[in-house]
Amino acid sequence: MERHQNSVTRTPLNSVVVQRRSKSKSYRLSYRSCLGATSRLCFTPALTARRLNTSRRAPKSHNITEKVNPEKLALLVKTEWQLSYVSPLYQFRHTQLKSYSRQLSAFIAAEKQQGLAVEVEGPQKTFRVSFSLVQGMAESDDDAETVLIQIHSKPLFARQDEPQRPVWSGWLTCINGNPDYLRSLPKDFICLPLFGSSGAEALTTLVKSWFQQFFDCCFGPLEISHTCLQWLMALWTNCHTESSIQHLKMIWTLPVVPPLQVTYTVNSEDAWELWSSVRKEKEKENKAGEMAKDEEENSIDIEEVTGFMQGLKSHFYRHFRLDLSAGSLDQVSTALGSAKYKGRIKISNSRYMITTLTLLTECALLKMPI
Amino acid sequence: MDTSNKRLIQRLMSRIPIKMLRTTLGKWGRLTEVQLKSMNLTQSKWALTEKLIAICEENELEVKHLTELEMIYIIDNPNQGMWHTFQLMDPEDDAQSVELTQFKEQFKSHIRELVRQVSVKMKKHTDEAVWIRIAWGDAFSRPNHLKPTYVVHHLQTPYVFVTSLTAKQKPLLSQALVLSTRHQAIKDANLSGRKLTAIRDLMMRQYQQVFPTKYPSPLTEHNPTVSNPHIGREQAEPAANRLQMACEAFGGGMLPQLQSAVYKLETKFRDQTNKTMTEREEPFKCVVKFASTNLLESLRNCASSGRNYFVITDNGPGPSSKTDQPQN
Repeated sequence: MERHQNSVTRTPLNSVVVQRRSKSKSYRLSYRSCLGATSRLCFTPALTARRLNTSRRAPKSHNITEKVNPEKLALLVKTEWQLSYVSPLYQFRHTQLKSYSRQLSAFIAAEKQQGLAVEVEGPQKTFRVSFSLVQGMAESDDDAETVLIQIHSKPLFARQDEPQRPVWSGWLTCINGNPDYLRSLPKDFICLPLFGSSGAEALTTLVKSWFQQFFDCCFGPLEISHTCLQWLMALWTNCHTESSIQHLKMIWTLPVVPPLQVTYTVNSEDAWELWSSVRKEKEKENKAGEMAKDEEENSIDIEEVTGFMQGLKSHFYRHFRLDLSAGSLDQVSTALGSAKYKGRIKISNSRYMITTLTLLTECALLKMPI
Repeated sequence: MDTSNKRLIQRLMSRIPIKMLRTTLGKWGRLTEVQLKSMNLTQSKWALTEKLIAICEENELEVKHLTELEMIYIIDNPNQGMWHTFQLMDPEDDAQSVELTQFKEQFKSHIRELVRQVSVKMKKHTDEAVWIRIAWGDAFSRPNHLKPTYVVHHLQTPYVFVTSLTAKQKPLLSQALVLSTRHQAIKDANLSGRKLTAIRDLMMRQYQQVFPTKYPSPLTEHNPTVSNPHIGREQAEPAANRLQMACEAFGGGMLPQLQSAVYKLETKFRDQTNKTMTEREEPFKCVVKFASTNLLESLRNCASSGRNYFVITDNGPGPSSKTDQPQN
């Protein structure tokens, strides 16, 4: 049986039938209502904790090219995506992708006729939408398969051989989503909480509207929090021995008038040395405890992450007498990828894509409407 | 007139705003009164350009005359493009006695040795600055007058300000400057900005504060050799100091408008909470860039927000002071 069918037809362990309200009244799946139905099985809101996990496994590079179609992979890497979170989708079926492609195309055409600003490629063009699966990314059985959406512009009088490039791309994914939360969802709801888009804002808005109308979900902007940015810095630096990060760059803004932007770029070897020294210090502390060695190596704690950041800040302070904590971290980047506070992510190396998306899925799940 | 000269005139005309045209052409002095009057400034730029081309043809002006015009305009309006500061290091014994004629001769001769095809113009401005315009060519092509480099230097000071210099041209210019000013080296001073007058004021005024006489001794912070690597000389501190001094020097008044400053740090990592890194021999390498619409204003506000605002929470006994003693 195909994977995606598993996710779609999976019945949560509780086998609860959610009373379906009429569709004419728009409703959002509220986490509480979901809880109300499942409370007898004791799934509580603490599952999607209010904070990111304080410890996570050290990323190993995945041989993702063996699991995922390399063409699809190429579409995902090296592009900067704007992130949003999206609440679970009601009655989204991975088997209906062709139909969704047609419906979204029609929706866009209709909206265009109504004069909504979709003057992306000029009035002579229509849009062709294609939904497709990106199989092989899902890490656990509870993760729904990733869906990729592409919008090509279709000139009315296109030549046969004229290559069509997508004018807009987007994807919905769930990587290593919290299994307790995922299993607590009522039947008929698919959770793909992380949405990435690239292309004209007008098209992004249209795609979101369509989803909202058809699957009764809601979208919201996903900022990459300070903690999450620190995690990414640490996780990427941790990979340096396997694939060079080339540099660790941070961009801060200090709140003075006029605002002061500080770009702090650390040599990759030195960043790595600092990171491993912080881990060693932690290891010494842990020796007092009973952690097994490989577990210790594999798991990274938030304290190590903040210790790393603190080291970088104190080195800066020694030279400039400016405390970066007074400012805000806007962006971190390495050769493996870049992340911006305002919710933009670029994954430059597919080997660490799963790690990055796991973290971002967690961020998205934290935003699920309570 | 050949196309390259026409293009040069076109480019000049696109840079010079109409309201500056009369003054600039007047200063240039290559147009007769009649010709000057015939430039109808209510016309479009394009029409004026055509007129100027015609006049230049009439007067049989050559490229060397045209570049004069450009230079006049740039000298009067220097606050455009991006200026970078360089600093001459380790003067020879006779560096102080280099005067204008010698400098001009030497510079021209050195640059011509280094670059086969080059066109150099040098002019001393009333404020003692020497302006140099360089159009670069190579073994196969004539000097490109559309992309000239401009250099400004005050003799007997270590500072050189440069705009529009490519990476390839940099070592050539550096060499010519070093030799003609009788120094041993030149380095990036890490200050750049759009307003030449601002960065120049900053460097010169602060320079005068540190060295009240006109005959400076080498700046003490630039001893390049580090005899004992364990001491870990803090090359960055003087750099930060310089900016701080600049802020203090200007007090509450108008600050020169700097846009960015870049510092390359290669200093030992010292942190009481991290023994491994503190014991490490290799320096911690990083680059820090500060950017703002008005950098000095931003930095001044950082300081004046009160020292307490910028207190680092350290596990150790507190931030190290500037006069750190080596811990061994």
